[in-house]
Amino acid sequence: MAMAQPRGTENEAELLQLLVDNMSDYAIIMLDPQGNVISWSAAAERLKGWKAEEIIGQSFSRFYPPEDVAAGKTENELRVAAKEGRLEDEGWRMRKDGSRFWANVVITRLRDGSGNIRGFGKVTRDLTERRAAEEKIRRQTQEILEMAAVPVVQVWEGIVLVPLIGTLDSQRTQQLMERVLNRVTETNSPVALLDITGVPSIDTQTAQHLIETTAAVRLLGAEVILTGIRPAIAQTLVHLGIDLSNITTRASLGAGLRRALEMLKLQVVPASAGN
Amino acid sequence: MDARSLSVVKIREILIVTLPSDPDDSTVAALQEKVLMSMERHQAKGVVLDLSAVETLDSFFARTVAETAQMIGIMGGRTIVVGMRPAVAITTTQIGLALGSIETALTVDRALDRVMQLSGPFQ
Amino acid sequence: MSTALEGELVIRTEGDIVATRHTVREVATQIGFGITDVTRIVTAASELARNVYKYGGGGIVRWRRVASQERSGIELQFIDQGPGIADISKALEMGYSTGHGLGLGLPAAKRLMDELEIQSDPGKGTCVTLKKWRAH
Repeated sequence: MAMAQPRGTENEAELLQLLVDNMSDYAIIMLDPQGNVISWSAAAERLKGWKAEEIIGQSFSRFYPPEDVAAGKTENELRVAAKEGRLEDEGWRMRKDGSRFWANVVITRLRDGSGNIRGFGKVTRDLTERRAAEEKIRRQTQEILEMAAVPVVQVWEGIVLVPLIGTLDSQRTQQLMERVLNRVTETNSPVALLDITGVPSIDTQTAQHLIETTAAVRLLGAEVILTGIRPAIAQTLVHLGIDLSNITTRASLGAGLRRALEMLKLQVVPASAGN
Repeated sequence: MDARSLSVVKIREILIVTLPSDPDDSTVAALQEKVLMSMERHQAKGVVLDLSAVETLDSFFARTVAETAQMIGIMGGRTIVVGMRPAVAITTTQIGLALGSIETALTVDRALDRVMQLSGPFQ
Repeated sequence: MSTALEGELVIRTEGDIVATRHTVREVATQIGFGITDVTRIVTAASELARNVYKYGGGGIVRWRRVASQERSGIELQFIDQGPGIADISKALEMGYSTGHGLGLGLPAAKRLMDELEIQSDPGKGTCVTLKKWRAH
């Protein structure tokens, strides 16, 4: 590494310390062979909370959660680093105030020319933000998958449509109920169209779920119209003795939409000719 | 208003009763007394029960609401429950309470329209 | 301020039923349940707390977070030294009431939670344990 300044051990050391102090992402410290802190930096203080005079001479196990120390993790890390030359670990670390942060840690064995271990270098990187971002992405992906599983669309002022595709198990019903009811509340829609054209078959459980969903929507002050009932489904429902007489049903989504507009005292009128 | 107490407001001939988020059993029991006496005093045509703040509706609370609606009916009035939270509606349905055949509306406005019969069942 | 994920509360007055709801809501939320599940758990807790207060002569509620490899959840325990339940299976049927008036509380709680266990004998008090699990 070429240096513009005149060479000299002192100047290099000073610049090196400046590098270590100013690095915002990494806290670089040095430990003696027993794991006690022998050098500190402003960056380390920012990340971990301790001032140099408070921590120098203390064991690096201060940075680990009590349960890890009890499990012997710190001794193990030094042992592995001493043997292999390097150890990388991701896990919880503790600050002076007891708060925890998710860290990436690299412990490097420092060997001199004669082969003696003079100590260890420890580079700690705070991954809390990255982890939070990962959590957020995971949550958002989950939400998107749930939305795709139970899409709820506002097709008109006052009408939400739920085109159900696939089977309706207990878990999906939970998602269905939450999403429909939330949408009805958010949009103040008095009508929810549940379209089951895409539901291949219906059993007693599924019918129960639909009845439950209808009851819950009614408690909010809205009404449900069940649409897309194919002949096969109508047959199954009657054979199973399921009583849907309490729910408004229509064979096609179109018919359901017409009924919904009626309920809202709205009409679809042809545009006048010669516009 | 104490966070736990309920409020009764009169608009024309309708009472709007706003229930607090987490009333204790005494407050819930007082609901019946207070509402029925107010109905008599103001000759109200109907009562709108606003549940939009309610976080938990257990069987005691639900039963009291259902009974109150019945009593209002006997006194010649109409009851409309408004603003139930989705989580509460789902829970109530799961228990199988369903509040009997009580009327519901999406908002206090719609409930008022309905009782004053400015429009039909929807909008 | 966060409530400890393990603890107990005395149920002696009517106000303690509200306190139970409040505490259980905080704990369930902290464990990570969604709003609908939190509402279910709090409603079930309210039913049991009322039973303890009204028919059990007072008692306690204990709560703690439970966890296994794949999932975590909440466990609630309601304990009283009251008259006990003579016929547990009947008490769990909807709408059952001996005149001791347990009524809808237990059946409601059973529907809302994933697991419900009752230990009770006439004259020996009652212990109801409820569990609900989070989908991970």
